[in-house]
Amino acid sequence: MKFYLYCFAEGLDRLNKPQRGVSGAPVQLLKIDDLVAIISASRGEAFRPNRDTLAHAAVVRSVFKQTTPIPFRFGQAVTEQYLRNYISIHRQAIKARLAHVRGRAEMNVRMIGTRENAPPPVFNPEKPVGPGTRFLLDKRRDFRGDEWRAAQIAELSAWFSQKLGKLTRDEHINVVPSERVVIARADHLIDRANILEYRTRMAQAIEERPDIRFMVSGPWPPYSFANIELELGRSSE
Amino acid sequence: MADFDQIIVGEEWESTDLSLLETLDHVLNRGLVIAGEITISVADIDLIFVGLNVLVSSVETAHEVLRKREIE
Repeated sequence: MKFYLYCFAEGLDRLNKPQRGVSGAPVQLLKIDDLVAIISASRGEAFRPNRDTLAHAAVVRSVFKQTTPIPFRFGQAVTEQYLRNYISIHRQAIKARLAHVRGRAEMNVRMIGTRENAPPPVFNPEKPVGPGTRFLLDKRRDFRGDEWRAAQIAELSAWFSQKLGKLTRDEHINVVPSERVVIARADHLIDRANILEYRTRMAQAIEERPDIRFMVSGPWPPYSFANIELELGRSSE
Repeated sequence: MADFDQIIVGEEWESTDLSLLETLDHVLNRGLVIAGEITISVADIDLIFVGLNVLVSSVETAHEVLRKREIE
């Protein structure tokens, strides 16, 4: 028997109202020591795109109304033994992550700007080259693109820091250059009590940057700050 | 329909058309992964990609997919 996974939480005794999750299965709380896994029974059937992804999101959001959980990505079903083993191995990391997101929420900022200062192309597709040269040119392009992207991320991070001050408890920024535009996304972890202040400051900041189109959304459960493996990888570097 | 240059939060956010795509982006691209393989047998990459085209959501994922397809 497998359990479908929604999120980890702590200090949760029950859900405020009964929930149906993926495939219509009742949502349950599985207590493992001082942690709670929010799960439902899985019979291994294929997921149905809209219905099941939205059911997953709805369960996580309902828990989020009670406490801040660590959400799982959609689509994972494991045995109870697998889950217990995972918790046994990663207990400290899970608890540290729960402490990090406690009382907080995720806000997302999407940005689209013009592609000024983008790195110039190094490969002319009209001029034929061999596979080796093509490989090296691609490598060179990637390297220059990475440098440029790192600079863009640093610039955006500094700008957010200036505009949001200490409101931001954690931040991920990703910049993707395309042919004509630069698309960026910032994920901010914010104290729930500061969400209104965050909105106000972002509204002011947006006014100052007519060169960029913005969309701000949230509050979300902290999906973007849930990756325990990533944190373990960082800490072991 | 929500558009850029907007701040959309809370209940207002949940009622917008865009919330579906934003929700899909969160649950399909983010969140903790503990199982070796994520069993998305129906909601596969094409579903995500359609969403991304509309929303400009997680373009990094779309680029990654395109790059992998080119390699293959």
